Amino acid sequence: MRTKYLLLILAFQLSCFAQNKEVLYNFTAIPQSSLVNPGADVSYKFYFGVPVLSGVSANIGSSSFSAYDLFANNGVDFNDKVRNVLNNSSSKDKTQLNQQLEIFSGGFRVGGEDSQSYISFGVYQEFDFLMYVPKDLGILALDGNRDHIGKSFNLADLNVRAEVLSVFHVGFHKKINEKLVLGGRAKLYSSGANATSTKNSGFIYTGQSNGTPNLYIQNITSNLELKTSGIAAFTKDEYDEANIPGDIAHNTFFNGSLGLGLDAGLTYYFKENLQFTASIVDLGFIRQSKDVETRRYKGTYNYQGANPVFDASNEPGDIFDDFENAIPRETLYDKYTTWRPTKFYSSVEYSFGEKRSDDDCNCKGKVTRKYVNALGGQLFAMSMPVEPFVALTAFYRRNIFDNLDVKATYTYDAYSHKNIGLGLAGTVGKLNMYLLVNNLLELKDVSKANSMAFQLGFNFVFQNAKD
Amino acid sequence: MKASFLKRISTTILLSALFFSCSSDLDFDQTKDLKLEPVFVANLAYFDVPANKFVDNGTEQQIAFDEQYFDIFKEKFLRDNLAKAEFNFELENTVNRAFTLNILLLSENDQVLETITLAIPAYSGTTNTIKYPTEVFENQRLDVLKQSRKLGFVIVMSPGPPLSASSTGSLKLRSGATAYMVIE
Repeated sequence: MRTKYLLLILAFQLSCFAQNKEVLYNFTAIPQSSLVNPGADVSYKFYFGVPVLSGVSANIGSSSFSAYDLFANNGVDFNDKVRNVLNNSSSKDKTQLNQQLEIFSGGFRVGGEDSQSYISFGVYQEFDFLMYVPKDLGILALDGNRDHIGKSFNLADLNVRAEVLSVFHVGFHKKINEKLVLGGRAKLYSSGANATSTKNSGFIYTGQSNGTPNLYIQNITSNLELKTSGIAAFTKDEYDEANIPGDIAHNTFFNGSLGLGLDAGLTYYFKENLQFTASIVDLGFIRQSKDVETRRYKGTYNYQGANPVFDASNEPGDIFDDFENAIPRETLYDKYTTWRPTKFYSSVEYSFGEKRSDDDCNCKGKVTRKYVNALGGQLFAMSMPVEPFVALTAFYRRNIFDNLDVKATYTYDAYSHKNIGLGLAGTVGKLNMYLLVNNLLELKDVSKANSMAFQLGFNFVFQNAKD
Repeated sequence: MKASFLKRISTTILLSALFFSCSSDLDFDQTKDLKLEPVFVANLAYFDVPANKFVDNGTEQQIAFDEQYFDIFKEKFLRDNLAKAEFNFELENTVNRAFTLNILLLSENDQVLETITLAIPAYSGTTNTIKYPTEVFENQRLDVLKQSRKLGFVIVMSPGPPLSASSTGSLKLRSGATAYMVIE
């Protein structure tokens, strides 16, 4: 039962990792490949996605531990597991979830049968979560400070962001000539809920020194800030928590904080069988303006103790008052801007093995050779609070029958060094189907996987008769 | 026909791979077992009273008194999760008079809940530092501690050679608290 739960969660809630869609990228048999490169060499007369089923994707990634490490039913005490995970993690390790669901999508060729210009559009919902392992605070919570005299617990380890948003987009791509395809996509973001706490700093320090009058030297320097948008209402006492999912959904599509973004991409053929592509996705921002609230703890506190002063008259001191004055809790209601995690993709692809054509003749006299095999490499990079995420992928794609394409990938990144992915895209009649899965080797025990990702979807694609 | 058949087969296989993949038995209920047992140390109080402070206008003051708010146990979190506490005291006396320090745990309305008495002999030219046995607060004694809201400090000077404004030496207190938390 729990296995099923996990799979359901994997399948529909979480999305594989780092948002790297290495199997989908440049897999031009799938119309949705233009979402990761608006300049992908995709062609159709028109297409539309099966509503809600055209693009389901999920990534989950955790660079230092797996679900098994924490939740294995193996008799090991849970507290020991937490301690092990913490010991094996650094503050650069992260846990990430990304999930996308296309509500609808479509596209069509503009400018007549010979035109090679296309417009595509759609709406999708996205959930993003990124948290770095709060290692120092974890140690402080597990051990306290007694066994860590002289250590500065770093408050910057607290680094988390989460967002639910919907994206309305319109894209355009055009095959300028035989060598070059250019494309762009404009995006309107509507964020239903955002929480950002990524620029914290400060430390908690306990030291001991012989020359000092007090037993310990105790300092807290704090610059902690949590910004939220669309969430403050849920924390009010009179709010009924049962309404949270519905209210977030409503805000996401109809009453969100708005933002703008841009995708751009290109495909360039050095030779007919040597292709270069590059794209930048989600270069954009959201102006968080709905129900914004910022909590801040900023200040410096040096704790000396409850020290008596034997003067004739003095007001008794109060440690708590001192602390609250030194590091006051502030609540602000300023709007703020968040930047979307921007993704960069690039690929080089070499094709070989000419396809035998079943056609009797090519009446138009224009011969475009098609290749059965493609081999190449891809680069993925994504902006993140601490350092960018980078992944390298080698791939092989093969056209098996007229309407069936298979792509296999090997990806190397911070989450995994043995990430093998496989994708299938096929067309039956007008129905285009695709299923892409990565980390195949981990399927034998998904609970031990550091990352999983999949995308699947159904579209109806219509080509010109001559195509 | 054959092609679409193969397509279906391969799609089915891939779907099966995804949905019939295996997972070790996971138990998410064990998060309930999470039990944090951190141990925190902190300064409790210190003072450094020079000998001439016990002389006011040429008259010896036998007793010095002060109280400080110690209201951390107003916090429910601390009351609920503190399982054991320890106080450590260290006195150093370089005044040629003996002293007794009484540390009072006081309630909100200044009722004395407990008195910790620390005595130290007069300074005679050699090192005169005493580390007192750890005061351990558990069970009932811990409950008393949790009711305290103020700390009182009473220094009582024992009889001996008279002090003057030019007397040397001082009485020093260093102290720390150790808090054993159990958070479930």
